[in-house]
Amino acid sequence: MPSYLDHNATTRVDPRVLEAMLPYLSGPYGNASSLHRYGRAARDAVEQARAQVARLVNAQPGEILWTSGGTESNNLALKGSTDRAAPTRLLYGVTEHPAVMEAAESLKERGWQVEPVAVDAEGLIDWPAFERQLAAGPVRLVALMRANNETGVIQDVGRAAPLVHAAGAWLHVDAVQAAGKIPVDFEALQADLMSLSSHKIYGPKGIGALAVKSHVELTPLHHGGAQERGLRGGTENVASIVGFGVAAELALQELDERAARALELRQRLEQGLRVLPGIRIFGAGAERLPNTLQFALAGYDGEALLMQLDRKGFAVSSGSACASGLGEPSHVLIGMGLDRDTAKGAIRVSLGKDNTAAEVDQFLQALGSFAAP
Amino acid sequence: MIYLDHAATTPLDPAALQAMLPWLQGEVGNPASDHAWGHAARAAVERARGQVAELLGAQPEEIVWTSGATESNNLAIKGALEFRGLRGAHLVTARTEHKSVVDSVRQLESQGLRVSWLKPDAQGLITVEQVLAALAPDTALVSLMWVNNETGTINPVEALAPRLRERGILFHVDAVQAAGKLPIDLSRTPIDLLSLSAHKLYGPQGVGALFVRKRPRARLSPQLHGGGHEQGMRSGTLPTHQIAGFGEACRVAGERLAEEGARLAALRDHLQQRLQQVLPGLHLNGHPQDRVPGILNLSFEGVEGESLRASLGDLAVSSGSACSSATREPSYVLRALGRDDELAGASLRFSLGRGTTAAEVDRAAARVIEAVETLRRIAGAGSAVPVTPPVNAHGYPAAVWAAFSRPVHAADLGEAAVTATAGSPAGALRLRLQAQLQGGRIARAAFQAYGCPVTLAVGEWLAGWLEGRRPGELHLSAADLRTALEIGDDKAQCALLGEDAVLALERQMSLA
Repeated sequence: MPSYLDHNATTRVDPRVLEAMLPYLSGPYGNASSLHRYGRAARDAVEQARAQVARLVNAQPGEILWTSGGTESNNLALKGSTDRAAPTRLLYGVTEHPAVMEAAESLKERGWQVEPVAVDAEGLIDWPAFERQLAAGPVRLVALMRANNETGVIQDVGRAAPLVHAAGAWLHVDAVQAAGKIPVDFEALQADLMSLSSHKIYGPKGIGALAVKSHVELTPLHHGGAQERGLRGGTENVASIVGFGVAAELALQELDERAARALELRQRLEQGLRVLPGIRIFGAGAERLPNTLQFALAGYDGEALLMQLDRKGFAVSSGSACASGLGEPSHVLIGMGLDRDTAKGAIRVSLGKDNTAAEVDQFLQALGSFAAP
Repeated sequence: MIYLDHAATTPLDPAALQAMLPWLQGEVGNPASDHAWGHAARAAVERARGQVAELLGAQPEEIVWTSGATESNNLAIKGALEFRGLRGAHLVTARTEHKSVVDSVRQLESQGLRVSWLKPDAQGLITVEQVLAALAPDTALVSLMWVNNETGTINPVEALAPRLRERGILFHVDAVQAAGKLPIDLSRTPIDLLSLSAHKLYGPQGVGALFVRKRPRARLSPQLHGGGHEQGMRSGTLPTHQIAGFGEACRVAGERLAEEGARLAALRDHLQQRLQQVLPGLHLNGHPQDRVPGILNLSFEGVEGESLRASLGDLAVSSGSACSSATREPSYVLRALGRDDELAGASLRFSLGRGTTAAEVDRAAARVIEAVETLRRIAGAGSAVPVTPPVNAHGYPAAVWAAFSRPVHAADLGEAAVTATAGSPAGALRLRLQAQLQGGRIARAAFQAYGCPVTLAVGEWLAGWLEGRRPGELHLSAADLRTALEIGDDKAQCALLGEDAVLALERQMSLA
């Protein structure tokens, strides 16, 4: 039986989500008269979804902007919030997602000084270094992820917020991996901007959101049209928005249950892995997402192991799906101070709400057979 | 409900939905993931890329996925100019472009880009000569739409493309309204960048594409940075289901293009003839020949735009003015064609599509004729009660709607009656009240009005209110009118017009 163990890359659309989407894909709403007689119903559905997504992260509905996904949300946050300011400094965590890193690096062309924030060997912020960095000169924006997509390491962004604000900067939090897996509270974290994605929480691909506090001046990335208060032009993707809303509601309702189940399975996996010779689990000393585990086996090439596992029907990844096939070691692990060889051997298992203990056992068995001396 | 708004959005084709469903039902996999699940998703994405490319006569690797035409237009224009550098750059575009092009160009203009904004002729056409005359030695990009979304006018982009190529100038075409309606062959037409949207050709919302020519290579700076998807030009996880639906929609559109085009052109011409036979004072917005099959845009003399739309609540058509009640903002496209605010506001765009039948076109024509004749009579001549009360599709207050939809007092009582008129300075609103006195009371009252539905409702309500009252008892403020008709702040001026008309009538009666 094939096993999908790559839920940090993407998840299956929940049947309950699809059911909510279908009327907007076919039938009276999707039957393009939606703009007219059914226009108000479609409008209401979009606003209901906005409230559902807001509730998942304890934000106000008016703070939620729709985007095409996490990448656009991160780009909009970084570029949109710096566009009207005279260029100073922008800081981002060294283990951030490529969408944050690359968006930040692109701002160098516009005169911004872009600096990574260092992490320790567990992937946690090096606080003394971070505080020195904040004090070293004016900063406009700090981007830190709530939880890392590869290691699952949870960052204490709530501790960062007062420091960032005291330095006169705004805090952007990439919560794409954290939302739906651990409680995420936009208000309590005191974040100014926060990215969310639908397809990581059993919603459809191609839709995401950016939570924005009203004091943040944002310049749109996509000009044209008055949609999303003029901050994001383009015809609304009603079916996907509705699906995201339902996915967010289910994620909130089932959060404890999903997290407890994932943790149980991950502990089972971790116990099984610990007996393998040369095993190394990344970020093991830090608080991590309950579903995520990244490891390496000394002496084994990650790529080869991935291929063997794929042939046996196990979908896992080396790290970020985006970086797949590049053959480059994970920047996350390099940022944590690992050498290139160890980093290249990394395998990430990310469990989902429908995985079973049997799948974990079969995975361990398969891995044991390849890894046997 | 008759849906004649296919230029705004189209229903999803059943075949496109079928192509989408597997990716929403159990299939999982990020097209960028390097395992069997990811490979399956990737294969679906690449199949769709081939289908989109085939509709355009392009190579699959020249198609870049986006979240829709707005993003495609932003990426083409900002990406090309950012890659070249704005310093000393010049761009040629037209005033009638889609808002996403206009706003992208304005954004760059505010950063120092020099722009020539071409004005179309009265039919909405931009000529090859006009573009060539606007070129400067440092022109970096020409951005011109293939088909205008409001008028349907076809710009001569096929003739223009080789002229720009021989000068080495990059050419971007917004083909959102052309794709699937006109034959496009990019293997013969040297356009460099071309924008597409799925939901205008019976595909899903939330996905689009940008054609980026490989030979010679059009160079762009990415606008969404990240994992380096789409050859580094557009990062972000690809929405497999949306893309699969878009591809299938392109396949179906290509198959049906010639046959469906001929059918829609015949229906459109029939609609136009029917309206022009019966109604005088019609103006065609757009080119009589060079326009896409499904679009007809007409301005109607002597009717006010908002009342026209309100009278056609059971007809899904677009109008030449933003439907915001507070602001009357006539279409910038029709203004660029030289239409005044009134005619631009009193315009309707009919856009026919795959589901449109001859019977629907006949019913739509009958509804429009009835509405225009009724409003013209209320504004001027004779009395009229609408045969079919319209549907309150735009959410007017119940009291306003009751009066607007049954204007039984719309009449001309002749010269024997006391007559008073009030109007807004610019003439956008006009209200005439008449009263026939008998035995010291108003025995009969009537109104005529030109304006929005609230203005017409005020006229109808006032005429009913006047009947039976004595001159000297006509105390009614704008606030009273607003209460009686549930008029909001955005329409306060209509209540003031009513107050003015009553005061004027009282003055006339005391003179008499």
